[in-house]
Amino acid sequence: MYGLQAISAQNGWAMAVAGALIVMAGLTVLSLVIAQLHKVAAFLEKGVEKRSEKKQAVKTAPKEAAVTKPPSVDIDEAQARLKPLAAELGESFELTNLYELANSGELPHVHLSIRSLRESGVIVPAGDGRFVWRD
Amino acid sequence: MDLLIQFLTNTGYYLLDFRNVIMLLVGSLFLYLAIAKEYEPLLLLPIGFGVLVGNIPFFKGFGLGIYEPNSVLHYLYFGVTTGVYPSIVFLGLGAMTDFSSLLAMPRLMLLGAAAQMGIYFTLLGALALGFLPKEAGSIAIIGGADGPTSIFLTAKLAPHLIGPIAIAAYSYMALIPIIQPPIMRLLTTQKERRIHMPDMRDVSRTEKLLFPAAGLILCCFLAPASIPLLGPFFFGNLMKESGVVDRLAQTARTAIIDTATIFLGFTVGASTQADVFLTPKSVGIFFLGAVAFSIATASGVLFGKIMNLFMKQKINPLLGAAGVSAVPGSAREVHQVGLQADPTNYLLMHAMACNSSGVIGSAICAGILWSFLV
Repeated sequence: MYGLQAISAQNGWAMAVAGALIVMAGLTVLSLVIAQLHKVAAFLEKGVEKRSEKKQAVKTAPKEAAVTKPPSVDIDEAQARLKPLAAELGESFELTNLYELANSGELPHVHLSIRSLRESGVIVPAGDGRFVWRD
Repeated sequence: MDLLIQFLTNTGYYLLDFRNVIMLLVGSLFLYLAIAKEYEPLLLLPIGFGVLVGNIPFFKGFGLGIYEPNSVLHYLYFGVTTGVYPSIVFLGLGAMTDFSSLLAMPRLMLLGAAAQMGIYFTLLGALALGFLPKEAGSIAIIGGADGPTSIFLTAKLAPHLIGPIAIAAYSYMALIPIIQPPIMRLLTTQKERRIHMPDMRDVSRTEKLLFPAAGLILCCFLAPASIPLLGPFFFGNLMKESGVVDRLAQTARTAIIDTATIFLGFTVGASTQADVFLTPKSVGIFFLGAVAFSIATASGVLFGKIMNLFMKQKINPLLGAAGVSAVPGSAREVHQVGLQADPTNYLLMHAMACNSSGVIGSAICAGILWSFLV
């Protein structure tokens, strides 16, 4: 069978028309959708921007400075540790010398201990930048 | 002496017949076009050499030929007959394609749809010439100007025609510079060819990321039979656009597609064994293929002119010719013809938009025809 008769017998007209319409409709819908895609993209990008701004704000907020309490110093204990060392320096001594000596002996919290002894009046100035133990 | 005679009667020289000679000449012509003229060398070179390999006469029953079970060529041909190679090619194609121009100007997609009309006109023509419906559907898809799609659909509907249909599809793709420009000039005026297209807007990364998902869902819901082609295609594109799997995208658009192209071209060429290929049907297929390709080109151009009747912003109707999915050959031709009319008229990017929509359109058509005719 040939010609128009063959086309009709094999349902050719319907296949051709339906096929052409389907592909045309499909690509038309796709083109309409992608024409709106920039709006969806803008919406999504806006959302992402907002979220990242929020995150940024949280990240950049100044953190409260961590307050670390200095370890408490037992004055008697500090005195018991440092007094024998200070004896090596003579009756009066400079605080820096005491600090260096104590530090080389790897005593804990040397600076804090000396400061505490100084503030509590266990070590008192003897003039000329030198200090003595208060009796 | 008997042994020598037996050997000589098994040689290709003894078994040669004129049909093999014709096919060897065809293969040589393809090689010449690929190497000397550089017409689609990536396709014509493997096909041309495959034609030579497939047409060396041999003693049937040795398990040598592509149609003989257990032959090496038969195993390589498996990727064609099952539609594996076309799917892999589409994966690589997706990883290569930049849809920016299409996303920037979606109305150009309609030209890609219009160019598919060649497929349906050819379907009618093939039925009228007495081809069976499945054969007619396979021949019609040549109008999409998409080699892998043609092979895929033919493998599903009329596997015995893969050779002639693949050769016809790839030949016409290679002959784009000869077929398309006269049709474009015939159907457009000089004034129309000079129409400049507006600059394209920038497309955001999010749009490019959304497109593969939107495209896959819309196209494959409409024609699920196109999943084997469009699934890998959009997946490849998502790999490219996501930017997070550059290694995979790079492999898909280089090593993977190249490997598939080599085996596809070589085995399709080898499938043109003279005794299977040189039949009156093949002549009909070549004739209808040329008709399909020409009608597809004309449909796109004419639809561009019709769109201009309704649109404020005129489009250059030459772009319609790029609606066939011969990427990037037809886009290049549109650009060249546009430049000949006006040396300042650059149409390449717009033509690529039509081209990529043509790829989608022809894959949908393959799905539609498969579901109609299966």
